[in-house]
Amino acid sequence: MTALLDVAVHLPEQRVAVEQVASRYGLTPMQVKVFRRYHKLGEVRRDPDGGLIDLLRAAIAGLDGLRGREKRVRYVVHARTFPSVVPYPLHPVHDLCREFGMEQASAFAVGHHACASGLLALDVVGRLLAADPDPDALALVVAGEKTFTAEAEILRDTTFFSEGASACLVGHDGPRDRMLAYAVDQRGEYDDDAEEVALAFQRDYAQLLADTIRAALERAALPLGAVSALLPHNVNAPIWRQVCRILDFPLERVVLDNLAEYGHVFCADAFINYRTAVQRELLRPGDHYVMAAGAGRGAAFAAMVFEH
Amino acid sequence: MTELDTAADPGLRDRVVDEICALLPRVLKREVADATADTTLMEALGLSSTAALELVLELEERLEREISVEDMGREDFATIGTLAGYIAANLLPEEED
Repeated sequence: MTALLDVAVHLPEQRVAVEQVASRYGLTPMQVKVFRRYHKLGEVRRDPDGGLIDLLRAAIAGLDGLRGREKRVRYVVHARTFPSVVPYPLHPVHDLCREFGMEQASAFAVGHHACASGLLALDVVGRLLAADPDPDALALVVAGEKTFTAEAEILRDTTFFSEGASACLVGHDGPRDRMLAYAVDQRGEYDDDAEEVALAFQRDYAQLLADTIRAALERAALPLGAVSALLPHNVNAPIWRQVCRILDFPLERVVLDNLAEYGHVFCADAFINYRTAVQRELLRPGDHYVMAAGAGRGAAFAAMVFEH
Repeated sequence: MTELDTAADPGLRDRVVDEICALLPRVLKREVADATADTTLMEALGLSSTAALELVLELEERLEREISVEDMGREDFATIGTLAGYIAANLLPEEED
């Protein structure tokens, strides 16, 4: 059974207030106040002197579980929100494979589930490792992007993005953080800029995300009451308040600690929140937790159930 | 007790409906004709959930009172009347000097 062997994250030091980002995009003071007061977003992180490779490198460098096992890594996968993250012919993930002694690995990206692509990447490497003849083969999933366009800085009415990265070492089996189930719901009908579609998407978002979480738990044959922690995507607080109301799940079990400090770190949120849950000792051995994300572009909703 | 001190005030919801109708052109940045308590926020007015929260903030300034949004659900954003009902019932107590 697919297992997470180690998780590391990196957030650059520079803090930028949401007001500062918003000022570049013509938001009114009242719109910014909505973000800070109701959406609970306050700051984002930036690495003005570094590129994507620097973000990913810092996360991989913090992955202690990788040390000495680099040659066992068969797959290195970059989970992306955006299809293109560097200009051709740059290949930062290939460069990092060489830097960290993983030249033998197949390196590629997964995307098209927007910010839910992090969970898609875990599912993909889990399947690849299960099919691999070497039971000791490992996979490395990295996530994180640069806020290189307006759309990568702010999603109007929704969230602010942070630069940052995560690295997750995955095995075909392991003693903890075993993946019990994955559910994804792709709703292409919402991938439209028309105003009525955008409003319908807002109306339906929390319900669709809640339904996906329920579907994942059903596949894991677990009741909602067995979930010790929900590791969300850091899009905004009202979404998770609504999801909790729909599910009748206690909001205090949703790890929203990082919302105010980081905002939405593309596909890395669930991993960042996993680290927080571990540091806060919210997960005891045998506890079940859910990683969940809903993505606007392409409209993909994903949830993954784990046993710690 | 001020006139906005309690949700039990039977006229409070109606007054909040009037305040919302007065604020809608400002939040939507266009004229709004014939809005009533039964007007749907999203379908009829095209008000996004974030714009509705902006409206709540505008109302706070107008009423000079803080509004708790912790218990606000999708159903509260259905119509001007449901939003007014929620706000009337969720005005936070005035802070004492």
